[in-house]
Amino acid sequence: MSYISVDHLCKTFTVRKKREKGSLMREKETIHALKDVSFEIEKGELVGYIGPNGAGKSTTVKILSGILVPENGKVSVGGMTPWTDRKAHVRRIGVVFGQRSQLWWDVPLLDSYSLLRDIYRVSEADYQKRLNELTEALQLGNLLRTPLRLLSLGQRMRAELCGSLLHSPELLFLDEPTIGLDAVSKLALRDFLLWENQEKGTTILLTTHDMEDIAALCPRVMVIGHGEKLYDGGLQEMLSKYDTKRTVQVEEHRNIDHVIADMYRDLGI
Amino acid sequence: METQYRGAVLGGLICQLFFGIVLVAIYRALYAGKPQTMPLSHVTTYVWLQQAFFRMLVATDPELLDKIRTGAIAYDLCRPLHLYGYYYARILAQKLTGSVLRALPMLVFAALLPEGWGLCLPASVPALLLALLGLILGLFCVSALENITMAFTMRTLDPRGMQGMLNLLMMTLAGNILPLTLFPDSWQRVITLLPYAQLLDTPIRLYTGEYAVSQAPEALLIQICWTALLVFIGCTFWRTNQRKLIIQGG
Amino acid sequence: MNTLRLYGRSMAILIKSQLQYPLSFLMQTIAQLVMEGGEMLALILLIDRFDRLNQWGPGDLYFFFGLMSVSFYLTEIFGRGVTGNFPYMVRTGQLDTVLLRPRGVLTQVLCSAADPRRITCIAVGVVSLVLGSNLSKIAWTLPKVLLFIEAIFFSFWLILGLFMIVAILCIHSVKSVELANTLTYGGRSACEYPSDIYPRALRVLFTVIAPFALVMHVPASMILDKPLYGWPEWVAYVTPLSGLVLFGIMYLLFRKAMRFYRSTGS
Repeated sequence: MSYISVDHLCKTFTVRKKREKGSLMREKETIHALKDVSFEIEKGELVGYIGPNGAGKSTTVKILSGILVPENGKVSVGGMTPWTDRKAHVRRIGVVFGQRSQLWWDVPLLDSYSLLRDIYRVSEADYQKRLNELTEALQLGNLLRTPLRLLSLGQRMRAELCGSLLHSPELLFLDEPTIGLDAVSKLALRDFLLWENQEKGTTILLTTHDMEDIAALCPRVMVIGHGEKLYDGGLQEMLSKYDTKRTVQVEEHRNIDHVIADMYRDLGI
Repeated sequence: METQYRGAVLGGLICQLFFGIVLVAIYRALYAGKPQTMPLSHVTTYVWLQQAFFRMLVATDPELLDKIRTGAIAYDLCRPLHLYGYYYARILAQKLTGSVLRALPMLVFAALLPEGWGLCLPASVPALLLALLGLILGLFCVSALENITMAFTMRTLDPRGMQGMLNLLMMTLAGNILPLTLFPDSWQRVITLLPYAQLLDTPIRLYTGEYAVSQAPEALLIQICWTALLVFIGCTFWRTNQRKLIIQGG
Repeated sequence: MNTLRLYGRSMAILIKSQLQYPLSFLMQTIAQLVMEGGEMLALILLIDRFDRLNQWGPGDLYFFFGLMSVSFYLTEIFGRGVTGNFPYMVRTGQLDTVLLRPRGVLTQVLCSAADPRRITCIAVGVVSLVLGSNLSKIAWTLPKVLLFIEAIFFSFWLILGLFMIVAILCIHSVKSVELANTLTYGGRSACEYPSDIYPRALRVLFTVIAPFALVMHVPASMILDKPLYGWPEWVAYVTPLSGLVLFGIMYLLFRKAMRFYRSTGS
């Protein structure tokens, strides 16, 4: 069996609408965040997960990381169902939300990291080894004594990544990791992710709107829209399949974003 | 009204009612042991009126505080407005709507309570009218006071420290924690002259007849003097704040 | 043990963070002193005017007040995460980050905040306790000391349990947090005084639903040698346990609410 296997996954949310005049009960609206999604990911893969806003990307990641419980469907990550044994499951995974911090705001990074070590029950020897490795790869060495609030956005993202990888997870979820970063930071971050994937064999699922990230990192791409999986395969095949206008138009180099926009339109999402 | 907002108002109302009942129960037990010259019904009335108009005392403009903290207030400072007047009107309006909405159901509830628990009738019709006048003056006075704290917060940028302290001080000196009428008589002579006593204590005393109709002009005059003085201080404060900001270039 | 160690380290980090803003911290600490000092002043003035409250003399009243202050603010110092941080976490989605870590949700919430500013309130409470003990001439014996510690220990769990109502309500996105405050803050104000001065309905409320009377007043009145409700002595050692019972119930409800959160999303 594959490392991650997702089988007919369904998730709905009920949203209470505003009460309209004259009616006693508030109407409820059911939103199908995921409709029968299935896929498999092998250990050590680096997969891009894309789709327009509200397509169901975060919901998938939240279910895979054990935060949310789905209505229907089977999920197995390394032989475990994420939501039934949350604590054992999250010990093996790392998650980075691009717009949400998991580190402590006012204290030096080193304090945050050593608290994370206690939370994940990492032994002192493993912690030191891993910390040295990560600070070198992420060039954090001279920032360890700086409080998070004094770091720039790029430095902060590197610090967050280090925090999520301290316990050497075998699976890493990244949600918009390069959002708001400058070109240099973006490139450095991509290099690091490739290194982590190749050297450590960490399986990575990358959610992003930045197609350059996908092009640089992910041999395989999954596209989701309206809660359904619409494409699963190589990036190049996807681009040639949907880059239909290239032959007609004069311009040789079309921006990858244009192709993706065309694709979303073609798929009707 | 938005449902969740309505829920919050209802929750606050029940909370206030509960506090009122507990306080009245304590004073009843105390009076059972040692009756005072001031009748029990005046104390319970004091408690209920304090609870009903509680919202007038507390600072209620989180939006403005946020503006000050984030620095967004700079936009307001650059507008061609008479800033003091603008914020004064704003605070006044918020206190008025906030307290009337909550006070009416509270007063109805308190009036329906059995004898010895609830609100007693005003001493006389003139006393009621004078109390209403006193309440309006109190509202002007408390708004002027809050405006000063606001201006002060703009200087220190720490809404919780200083303002929190002033708020707590206000609770005690305005008679919310213990009716000012139960303070030792020698203390009362001083405390009733402080601005905090002008907010609710004066109108309540006019209502129960603690201040006779003949004493009313004096009480109202003190209120007017304080209001004028506090408005003057606030105006000066805002003006220097504004000038400082313009000099610094925002 | 590991959990306690984690808690200690979290507290160290929190204090370090708060000391980054020393002036603000100092001001707020003083503000707390003004608040609790004001409450105690009110009690002093009441006693000055009325001398006693039913069977309870000045010393007894200071003792009850001090017991409530110490227990309540002890809980506020350590339980700040439940009332302060948790609603914020739910609103901003920070709770997801908590769920991503291999630790219990409540452990992490308690580790996430502390409110050391309340230490001045506890100081006021201690002054009141000492004053009460002296005025009432309490003859301290070993059983009485143990009973006193027991009362404070279980009061902590009782109040933490009541604080958790706020957390449970906000998972279900109920905005009327003030309703929950009726029980906690209302209960605190009311039960600064022994519960037997209240009419029946309130007495039942503070004995059965939010059992401040069982956890604080029964043991305290035993220490003062004036048994509450005329109950026998051994009862005073048993009733404080109800604080832990209430916490247990709230903990189960909290777990149920977290299951709801995880299946509905946010």
